[in-house]
Amino acid sequence: MTKFEEYFYRHLHILRRISQWAAVVLIFLIPFLNRHGINSLMGTFYSIRIGHLDLMDPALMFQTILLTKHISFSALLAGTLPLILALVLGRVFCSWICPYNLLAEYVATLRKKVFPHKKYVLNHNPKPHWYWAIFGLVITSLMVLGIPLITLTSFPGLLSSEAADLVLNGTIGVEIVLILVVILLEFFVAPRFWCKYACPVGATLALFHYKHTMHVHFDPKGCTCDSIKTLPCNSVCPLGLDPRHRDIYPYCYNCGECIYSCHKHQGKSLSFSFKDAPKKGVVAARANLKMNRTIKEVDA
Amino acid sequence: MILEFLQKLANYHAPLRPPGAVPEDEFLDRCIRCRKCEEVCPYDSIVMAHGDRGLKVGTPFIYARREPCYLCMKCTEVCPTGALQLIKKEEKEKVRMGVAKIDQTTCLAYNGIICRACYERCPIYREAITLENEIYPVVHPEHCVGCGICENVCPNEPASIIVYSSHA
Repeated sequence: MTKFEEYFYRHLHILRRISQWAAVVLIFLIPFLNRHGINSLMGTFYSIRIGHLDLMDPALMFQTILLTKHISFSALLAGTLPLILALVLGRVFCSWICPYNLLAEYVATLRKKVFPHKKYVLNHNPKPHWYWAIFGLVITSLMVLGIPLITLTSFPGLLSSEAADLVLNGTIGVEIVLILVVILLEFFVAPRFWCKYACPVGATLALFHYKHTMHVHFDPKGCTCDSIKTLPCNSVCPLGLDPRHRDIYPYCYNCGECIYSCHKHQGKSLSFSFKDAPKKGVVAARANLKMNRTIKEVDA
Repeated sequence: MILEFLQKLANYHAPLRPPGAVPEDEFLDRCIRCRKCEEVCPYDSIVMAHGDRGLKVGTPFIYARREPCYLCMKCTEVCPTGALQLIKKEEKEKVRMGVAKIDQTTCLAYNGIICRACYERCPIYREAITLENEIYPVVHPEHCVGCGICENVCPNEPASIIVYSSHA
């Protein structure tokens, strides 16, 4: 592990929070600057314009193509850059930039404080077909109904759009009700269900996850938490995944909290990796995990 | 109050779309509600629709009586999806946002009071609105771009010249 990696993992949490809060500041700052005649930064998280460079949410790029049945070159160009980012680094937009995710993370923390779980449960990674089924349903209903469903359900876009509305006109649109309903559901019923299963923006980015995309890599050799009852990596995962398995994708959005937590507890088994994990290693890791699990069950 | 509401309903006309907008059905498919047109507009003419417009929520409108379009064409340059097609500033007479229509029963000029507000402010000067007998303003739909400046400056309340959107 290089020194840079070591430093990065140790400060990952604070770096991520800085990046997220910078995005929140930006969605208020952009309309404010525009109102005062500075147009070098423009737009919302639906589509942002930096100087003369247009960037567009890839989900909306696909929506425009599906609804108009016509491919426009400028839209294609604008959507490609974020897709390349997703291809290399995974869904980092969700975990490092998206303002809704920041909000939902704080709501989840609040939920944990209000309803503390006494019994520790090992995280379980859901099957990926749920994810694709929901995304497929959104795309199908978009085409059948002919309404821009992704625009209406893109929470980063809606939040930044409402922030712009607030700054520009001093009003807030009715769309905010949808966000409030989802937040209440996440607080009382199903924690983090939106980002984990439903969000079409994240699902589009997850489509472009392949074996060399940055992923969380688990090396059982450095795992030192056998004796600790609550696994640090499991308990910090904002989406309730078990990062010790490779099957966390497409759900995992590469926030890196598990890696940060692992390194904080003097472990060295979790890291970001671009390498395709060798099959043999995965099998060995699985076997090791099973052993760990039985030990834990005896412990408990 | 009910009467007032009914009156408003009877006088309802759809607000204008920004210049360069493609036909309404296609517009709704193309517009991703990114607000760049609203942000770039130097006159704050463009405002985004709220929930009262149903599924058109978040799409750009121009309410001429509030603030008309001054045809600077900046919004057509920033639209990322082509919902607003690029129109050059020099070609502003190509814009077709709507057509103005004069209500002769209330128009001051037709009622014996000299008023040239709409005629003088029209950006397609002496083409879209001309004066008949140097007194009566007449709209020529083939030249009218529908910018809404005439509706904005009309001294009557409600305005006697109203721009009807070509994006119903």
